[in-house]
Amino acid sequence: MDSRDELAARLDACQKCNVCTAQCPVAKVNPHFIGPKGLGPDMERFRLGQTIPRETTLDDCSNCKTCEVTCPSGVKITEMIIEARRAASKAPHKNTLGLKLRLRGYVLGRAEYLGKLGVIWPTMTNQILKIKPVRLALDKVLSISKSGPLPAYGKPLEVLVGKRPKIKASDSKQVVYFPGCYTRYNEADTGQILIKVLEHVGYKVIMPDFHCCGLPLDANGQFEKAHKNGLYNLELMRPYLEADMPIITSCTSCGLTLKEEYPKFQTTSAQLIGAHSYDLFEFLWQLYEKGELPLDFQEVKASYGYHPPCHLKAQRIGTPVVRILGLISGVKIRNLDAGCCGLSGSYGFKAEKYDNAMKIGSTLFEAINVGAGRGDFQEITTECGVCKVQIQHGTGIPTDHPVRILAKAYGLIN
Amino acid sequence: MNEMWDAVVVGGGLAGLIAGIRATQRGKRVLLVTEGVGTLFHFSGIFDYGDVEGLRHLPKHPYTLFDSQAITQGKHFVQEICPEYVVNDRPQSAFNVLGTVRQGDLMPRSMVLPDPQEQGVFVLLVPEGLKDFFPEIVADNMAREFPGWQVSVKRMQVDALQEWTRLGKSVTSIDYADIWRSEEGYRALAHEIDEIKRQFQDAGRSQGKIVVVLPSLVREYFDASRTKFYRNEFSLPVLEMSSFVPSPHGRYFAEYLKHIFTDLGGELMIGARAVSLKGELNSEGHAKICQELVVRSMGKLMRLKGKKFILATGGLLGGGIKVGMARRSIRESVFDLPLFIPQEWSVPQFLAPQPYAQIGVETDQFMRPLDPVSGQVVWDNVHVVGRMLAHWDPWTQRCGGGVSVTSGYAAAELI
Repeated sequence: MDSRDELAARLDACQKCNVCTAQCPVAKVNPHFIGPKGLGPDMERFRLGQTIPRETTLDDCSNCKTCEVTCPSGVKITEMIIEARRAASKAPHKNTLGLKLRLRGYVLGRAEYLGKLGVIWPTMTNQILKIKPVRLALDKVLSISKSGPLPAYGKPLEVLVGKRPKIKASDSKQVVYFPGCYTRYNEADTGQILIKVLEHVGYKVIMPDFHCCGLPLDANGQFEKAHKNGLYNLELMRPYLEADMPIITSCTSCGLTLKEEYPKFQTTSAQLIGAHSYDLFEFLWQLYEKGELPLDFQEVKASYGYHPPCHLKAQRIGTPVVRILGLISGVKIRNLDAGCCGLSGSYGFKAEKYDNAMKIGSTLFEAINVGAGRGDFQEITTECGVCKVQIQHGTGIPTDHPVRILAKAYGLIN
Repeated sequence: MNEMWDAVVVGGGLAGLIAGIRATQRGKRVLLVTEGVGTLFHFSGIFDYGDVEGLRHLPKHPYTLFDSQAITQGKHFVQEICPEYVVNDRPQSAFNVLGTVRQGDLMPRSMVLPDPQEQGVFVLLVPEGLKDFFPEIVADNMAREFPGWQVSVKRMQVDALQEWTRLGKSVTSIDYADIWRSEEGYRALAHEIDEIKRQFQDAGRSQGKIVVVLPSLVREYFDASRTKFYRNEFSLPVLEMSSFVPSPHGRYFAEYLKHIFTDLGGELMIGARAVSLKGELNSEGHAKICQELVVRSMGKLMRLKGKKFILATGGLLGGGIKVGMARRSIRESVFDLPLFIPQEWSVPQFLAPQPYAQIGVETDQFMRPLDPVSGQVVWDNVHVVGRMLAHWDPWTQRCGGGVSVTSGYAAAELI
């Protein structure tokens, strides 16, 4: 289907109720931002008349998708905004973004290359990124905030594919794991733990050499590169998709991209990807429903505050992690649901957006500080890597991926 | 099969959330599926019950499904989960956003007007740039409503919103409600009120009642931190006005109910559109038993298995009933339930009772959907609540909150 037509149809569904703007984390802290309704459906009418706004206006949206989840009428607000950015990048006045900001888009969009560079000598990279003058230089040269919580690098996650991938008639059940750049380059141990968990529940894990899903590229205006990555990944997935194998994600933004963006590509695997992509806990819950999830849990005596990432909400699957962790005796988990952390991928790394990103996150930080202060929980758990980084930056409270709690219960880690 | 929800609630407005909270509180495993936020964003902060006894005499009105005890139980439930709402025998009065007095049956303590027979001063505190707020009209109306009272207007600015003021950009009451909750906003407000008190004292008016009236203030509900009710320590009594859209009372109340629901163990699936139902005929062969609700999530369809289903999708305004472009094309959008549709949809007088308001699903006394022609129950384990029920009109009967709370609560008791 022509996605423009579909968007136009959805445009008429907007009743101008303003609920999206009332819920928009950016509009709340930035008076210059006209808000999702204004930037999305309202201006879309002009854009349909070929009036293309400049990228700088469009750039304020953090792509958190709160507006889309909030909308009672199913209007694809963020999608309109991203589409408009795409159009603006091709418009005659496309050079409105200065060289510096274009260069920054190039750098921040390439989480994958940064990862590949970072993991060559992680300790050195991490040390360098801690040096104040380096951060000051990044701030001056690339407008990457000197205060933003840039994640640390570690040893990367190894690719897992047999020499000749056997797909058919295998004894054990198999899944494909799409780790995403953050897990792969910044937190490989979480990836390894996840693989152990999947093996424990009876699945052999295949992890081809995927590229970045493309979301950070799209968000930083690198549309063509994002498209290339999508095609590349889909082609890698093709044999597995054709063999009806599930694709598992542990990063909620990668997961959303696989479910929402990839089906728009014009390839055969694009038609299969939507129905085959699962968030890890969504997948595990499906196993549980079928009675196939091993329930050999040890007691884990711990209380956690849970932060549901915006891009998990955008997947529209509820909070399967809360259900799964609820099966483990001893685990107490409170769904904080206190809004966006503010970082939104790479948004909060940008110098001019850092302060607003921290303001956006303040409601969440407060909920965490109050809860932890009262002893309701000692740690935070969230699926998204950058939410984790931002929460630790904003509160100092230890934060980890929930798969670790599950691995503990299965006795796979201490 | 390992898993089945005790109840799947479709719709996250007032009726759906009340049903979800009550059922979860009763120890049931509840999943609440909602496409976006519900119409609570239009909530004034006041629950209208209308002339309950009178309405109970209207044939088929939803109130006829409940005895008066059930209606009272619902009211007390609101008070239980939100103690600032106090159940009262008689309707109470509050200022609406135009400064006129409106009655309501259940409202937060901080909205209840003082006795007009008394004498005193209202100081209307006007936050700079508050959207869709007209202080002169409001003050005129207040003076007319309270002839014995003096009304004065005072404007105030908040530092955090300086940039908004500079740009000439209006600020919604939702944003102001947020500001008042922040430490900085609270301090600014407290300071302003101290100042008002001092001015009156200097003018020799230390006697008599001085009441500050503030639009956009919401004090009833805790926020995401679960602890902070709004601080009430001001040097003068502060009166809240009812909300206008997009409504801060509605926004905070929706968030509050959502947190109560999930803290009790309920699960919220937001952004998901329910598309259809699957079920089969029961053993007696007439009503069908619903087994699963099919929901469109990103990328695929999800099948949610439940023992009971509650339909709280909100009727015409909430999007639960879709009207097509073709004349008279109308359907209930999830369960495709038969609808009651009046012969004529509208009458010429705009503010007269409009027949289309009565469109909805007819039910038996357990709120199970009926076929209007045969009178038979269509689904054995589906309960219809709130605006989706047929034969009532929230606008002219002023009973929207009452029907939604009562039916939501009653449905939860059937889970």
